[in-house]
Amino acid sequence: MGSSSKKSKDKDRKRRHSSRSSSLEREYREKKHRHHKKHHKEKKKEKIIKQYEYESDSSDVIEVIPDEEASTPPPPKIQCIHSPEIGHGQSSESLSVDETNKLRAKLGLKPLHIDSKSDKSSKQKEDGKRKDDLGEFYHKPAVNIATKHQQEKIREKLTQHKEKRHLDQKLSKVKLLGEADSDIDDTLKWIEKNKKIVKARQEAEKRAKMLEELDAQFGVGEVVESEQRLKRNLQYTEKNLHGLEVEHDTENFKEGQTIVLTLKDKDVLDEDADVLVNVNLLEDERYKKNVENKKQKPDYNPYDIEDIDEFGNLKTKSLLSKYDEEIEGTKKNSFRIGFDNAAERRQVIMNTVKEKLANKRLESLQTPELTIASDYYSEQELAKFKKPKKKIKKLRSKPQTIVSDPEGSKFYTRRPKIKEDTDTIITDDVPAVDIKPDIKVEEDIDDTLERALHKARKLKQKEAITTNSFTSVSGIKDEPQEDGLDPGAIVLNTTAEFCRTLGDIPTYGKSGNREDTEDLLDYEKDAHEDVEMDMEAVEETTGGWNAVDPNRSQEVSVVAPFEVPILDEEPDVGSGVGAALKLAMSKGYLEKEDKARPSNSKLAHLQAQHYSIEDKSYGEDFDRGARRERYTGPIMDFKERDAFKPNVKLEYIDDEGHVLNAKEAFRYLSHKFHGKGPGKNKIEKRLKKQQQEGLMKKMSSTDTPLGTLNMLQAKQKEMQSPFIVLSGGKHTHSTTISKPRN
Amino acid sequence: MIEITCNDRLGKKVRVKCNPDDTVADLKKLIAAQTGTKWDKIVLKKWYTTFKDHIQLQDYEIHDGMNLELYYQ
Repeated sequence: MGSSSKKSKDKDRKRRHSSRSSSLEREYREKKHRHHKKHHKEKKKEKIIKQYEYESDSSDVIEVIPDEEASTPPPPKIQCIHSPEIGHGQSSESLSVDETNKLRAKLGLKPLHIDSKSDKSSKQKEDGKRKDDLGEFYHKPAVNIATKHQQEKIREKLTQHKEKRHLDQKLSKVKLLGEADSDIDDTLKWIEKNKKIVKARQEAEKRAKMLEELDAQFGVGEVVESEQRLKRNLQYTEKNLHGLEVEHDTENFKEGQTIVLTLKDKDVLDEDADVLVNVNLLEDERYKKNVENKKQKPDYNPYDIEDIDEFGNLKTKSLLSKYDEEIEGTKKNSFRIGFDNAAERRQVIMNTVKEKLANKRLESLQTPELTIASDYYSEQELAKFKKPKKKIKKLRSKPQTIVSDPEGSKFYTRRPKIKEDTDTIITDDVPAVDIKPDIKVEEDIDDTLERALHKARKLKQKEAITTNSFTSVSGIKDEPQEDGLDPGAIVLNTTAEFCRTLGDIPTYGKSGNREDTEDLLDYEKDAHEDVEMDMEAVEETTGGWNAVDPNRSQEVSVVAPFEVPILDEEPDVGSGVGAALKLAMSKGYLEKEDKARPSNSKLAHLQAQHYSIEDKSYGEDFDRGARRERYTGPIMDFKERDAFKPNVKLEYIDDEGHVLNAKEAFRYLSHKFHGKGPGKNKIEKRLKKQQQEGLMKKMSSTDTPLGTLNMLQAKQKEMQSPFIVLSGGKHTHSTTISKPRN
Repeated sequence: MIEITCNDRLGKKVRVKCNPDDTVADLKKLIAAQTGTKWDKIVLKKWYTTFKDHIQLQDYEIHDGMNLELYYQ
């Protein structure tokens, strides 16, 4: 395009300047050609310069008509509306509606629909409807609040005005005081008025008379009279009231007082007779009741104080009397009209007085005659007199605590406590030893008493035996072992058990370390011994020369029936699990926990060396205290034991049993903790070290490791010489050794 | 009726009255009539969307007072 425009320009120039001198043009052309060969920039500059030159040269106006417009059909005459900022390139032009319509017609388009659109918009505004974006719904326009307010204001004003007008109208009819005065003041007017009124009244009377006369003429009066009579007959009078019930006390009705009674409300379907009530009285009653309710004390009546009614009588109270009203309904005083119940009332009063008197007791002032009191009970009194039951107390001597007993101190010291528990409190958790059906453990606590009793029993037995022993020894054997023990039961006492476990202590019993020779141990002695003893006893009793010490003789003559086994025959295991368990128990395979007495067992040597009874009791006390104070909290403050200085020693031992020092222990634990042992070299090193240490320990301090000294000494012994010659050569050595021999 | 402003930024700015149901081609013809360019040499754009000839202005959501970019091809 550019090129074509250039050309045209050139042409123009030619055309324009054709009138000019050809020489100039030629020059210009030449110049141009010359320049053409040179730079373009220069050429441009020159062009501009030239133009100016031309303009300056010739003052005529140059019209520049663009090429493009020439090609297109020239636009129709446009009434250009220039925008206010008319920059050269920024002008925007628009056609008027008519012009555009014309143009559109030319182009074959339908005209602009301005009117319809404007109509539409105006219509929309009038309707107040607006289409939404989709064109589907019409929306009601929002209410303008300002206009609304205005309307309201105006309306208010209007209403106010209306009211004012109304009031004015009303007031206009009323006569003011002044106006009225003016009327009354005028006496003439007032008189006239009165006259008028009087006249009107007279007229009315006259008219009424006229009408009556008319009625009389037609016989209406009789009819009316008869009707009135009928009515009077039908009227509700005193007769009808006879027998009606009034639901109030008669006290409420006093002479000369009128009380209006109404029918009480009731259900339509009720068939009860009508009841009369006075509303005021009803309300009074209700009020009274409310006050009563407010006054009512709480139901709690701890001392069972009885209420006293107005007559001073005790009210008989039914159980839960406070609910009586709710269950049975309120009691109401009522009377019937026409029935005089004065007598009844009197009766009621009488009854109350009677009741009052019934509760009272008559006291005579006479006192009974004085009589001399007898010293003795009469028979009746005796019958009354009850002998207090003797409380049978079981004598219990205080248990001995024998710490030095070889059987184990713990057992003895613990037992009494348990025993006491079983006596006083029967609790489940305390293991009762004596409850066991077949195995009876004799109480060791009651040792002294038991022993005394035993002795007595034995004495009796002995006597029997001695008398029997004259006849035959074998009779003794048949003697029942002990009283009150069924043969099925196993008798275990501590001594027996002790002996069973002890068994093989050789010195026991020989050194006379027993307290009594007549102890129960005797039963376990061999039959031979028993027999011997018996024989001795017989001899002693028969022999006359001995000074007889009765105790002694009895002691010696203590005899147990011989060949009576300590343990009964084994229970039949085949009979059941229970029997098996029993057997196990009796054999000692099974041990009850409370019977686990380490001191008694063979493991006694493993027991703590410094274990003292005090410690044990302390712990137990503490435990028991804790049990007692579980709910109440500790009664006393916790006391620290002053003497308690535990000797704590931490020792670490490795897998091989070596005692580790602190460093090693740390290393050992660390390895264990991290799960990563030391390296192979380290282990070897340490092993070596340990071995060396071991060797060092084994090495005797008096000898060399190879035992040279020993050898030398041996040699000396062999040679029997006090010296040994040490020399380098073998031969010499042999010679030196050989020398002393010779 | 809507009025649309078309501006090539080279010195021509035209305001054209048209109907919203006119096609883009119609608009171009009107523009051509006002500016004197051939209508088929005109390209109308808004940002990067070139308006196609056969589509109505309302479908392109061209409303009253909108500015369109005027290019030539």
